[in-house]
Amino acid sequence: MTETAHPTRLSRRWSSLPGIDINWKLVIPALVLAEIINRSMGTSTTTLLTEILIFALFATSLNLLMSFGHMVSFGHSAYFGLGAYGFTLGVVKAGLPVEAAVFLGPLVAALGGLVFGALCVRLTEIYFAMLTLACAQITYTVLFQWYDFTGGDTGITGFMAPRFGLSEQGFASLTLVVVTLSIFALWWIVRSPLGLSIRAAGQDRFRAEALGLTVRRVQLSAFVIAAFFAGIAGTLHAVLNGAAFPDYAGLSLTLDSLIMVVLGGLNSFSGGIWGAIVYKLLGAFVPSFIHEWELVLGIILLAIVLTMPKGFAGLIARLGLDRKGAK
Amino acid sequence: MVMIQFVNGLMEGMTLFLIASGLTLIFGVSRIINFAHGSLYMLGAFLTYELVPLIAPGTLLGFFASVIIGAAVVSLIGVVFEVTALRRIYHADGLMQLIVTIALVLIIRDVVRMVWGPNSITVPMPDALMGAIVVGENYFPMFPIVVFAAGLVIVLAMIWVIYFTRAGILLRAGTDDRGMAALLGINERLIFTSVFAAGAFLAGLAGGLSAPYGEVNHLLDTTVIVSAFIVCVIGGLGNLYGALAGALVVGVTKAMGVMYFPRLSMVLIFLIMAAVLIGRSLGRQGGSAR
Repeated sequence: MTETAHPTRLSRRWSSLPGIDINWKLVIPALVLAEIINRSMGTSTTTLLTEILIFALFATSLNLLMSFGHMVSFGHSAYFGLGAYGFTLGVVKAGLPVEAAVFLGPLVAALGGLVFGALCVRLTEIYFAMLTLACAQITYTVLFQWYDFTGGDTGITGFMAPRFGLSEQGFASLTLVVVTLSIFALWWIVRSPLGLSIRAAGQDRFRAEALGLTVRRVQLSAFVIAAFFAGIAGTLHAVLNGAAFPDYAGLSLTLDSLIMVVLGGLNSFSGGIWGAIVYKLLGAFVPSFIHEWELVLGIILLAIVLTMPKGFAGLIARLGLDRKGAK
Repeated sequence: MVMIQFVNGLMEGMTLFLIASGLTLIFGVSRIINFAHGSLYMLGAFLTYELVPLIAPGTLLGFFASVIIGAAVVSLIGVVFEVTALRRIYHADGLMQLIVTIALVLIIRDVVRMVWGPNSITVPMPDALMGAIVVGENYFPMFPIVVFAAGLVIVLAMIWVIYFTRAGILLRAGTDDRGMAALLGINERLIFTSVFAAGAFLAGLAGGLSAPYGEVNHLLDTTVIVSAFIVCVIGGLGNLYGALAGALVVGVTKAMGVMYFPRLSMVLIFLIMAAVLIGRSLGRQGGSAR
């Protein structure tokens, strides 16, 4: 990226760190291409595109925690699910108009992130991972079992026209805009002083504390932000289907998001995006050839971790497409 | 009814302990959280299902023999995984190790679905354990009591191995200071592999023992691993007695909670865990964090 109008010393040094720059030569054509694909291909391609976009946002929000905060969350689907249910219950139970409820979803997710996060950031590393997993399972269990309020395992359906009644293409364009703006917001956060603190706390919490950072507060901020953006993804997904199911907060979605981040490549901002693209494309095409999709995925994961620990973003950086990304 | 649920809870706690202790032992020496431990448990249950009709069906001895043979096979699978995949990334980022074990979860789940199908199976209970013991007005179902007793025997055996044998000394040395142990000429790789084998064996045992009591299907892995994680958080990773106490608390709470708050028993366990965590971090700064 070329220097912006008034770069401070901080942001200039920050932007020279790997994996944070935006390569406009890649991003703008990619966005245009996405819209062209959306308008020119059939409905199934459009739906796949919408899903890729939603999961790109979801994985990027997790990536904020993992790559920059070095907080391995094993329960990120909880905030996806809370976003979806916050929106859905806002419509069904609180009687909000659909247009207002979409703002409720991410807020509920952020609130959940605040409550669970306040507990989780007391712990580090593996205990943190375990506790986030437990929090997500609790969320899932409540959504799954509380029939009177959440509809239980059948979820909540039929309360609105899917996609606000927009056409598939129209909603894909809307998703493209929302996701792009959200990912830019995340990118902006990563580059902000808060992002620097998150990164400092992730790299060496004791040094960060010695420098005067309240590491727990920084980590909690990162957690809430990640939950908020995961909530946006969840809300979009609920709008896409016009429904919410407990599986949105389930373990398999958490594993999906983790796999996406690792597939795409850790320690790079674009990792979540690449991961979502690769993972969703594999998920769309592999099962039509081989029934045992999870088996294939497991072997792919093993191969990736054992041979190229930097994931696809690392591969792309090595090919020189991601400017400054590689050293 | 209360007593029945209590006994069931004790049994579930004991199986949870067998899983959590394996997790804890593996974590102790290698700093790896084996996410696939629930999958090994599940494999133990399915292998027992295959073996029970082959080895003296219906008898008590046949059941235990099938469980042990099944666990041994699970242990072998664990060793193959450790040697081919895990060993290569001991020094990599912790996340990479988790991802490798997740890959194993996915592989085992699909293999189980391929071999045994997506529906639940039932493992026949040995005839001798069908009944119940009657004390006054209370009925104690036989099977959970025997499983609990078998678990106790395993616990005692573990304590004996860990504290009174050379293997146990090596294990404790590796857990305390792996670099120092290596400097003293202890074969680090052998310790890692044998601890992984032992952990997998324990998980297989737990799976086999609890197989006749409840449903066995390919979704068992995640439910079990989540409970085992909670046990580890409550008991503290690397702490065997903590794991035992945590497992029994979780098992009994789960079973009793189902009676009084059928929909919220998991929430109850979560509250216990939250209380433990908060209490611990108030006690000493950072708590179990380090």
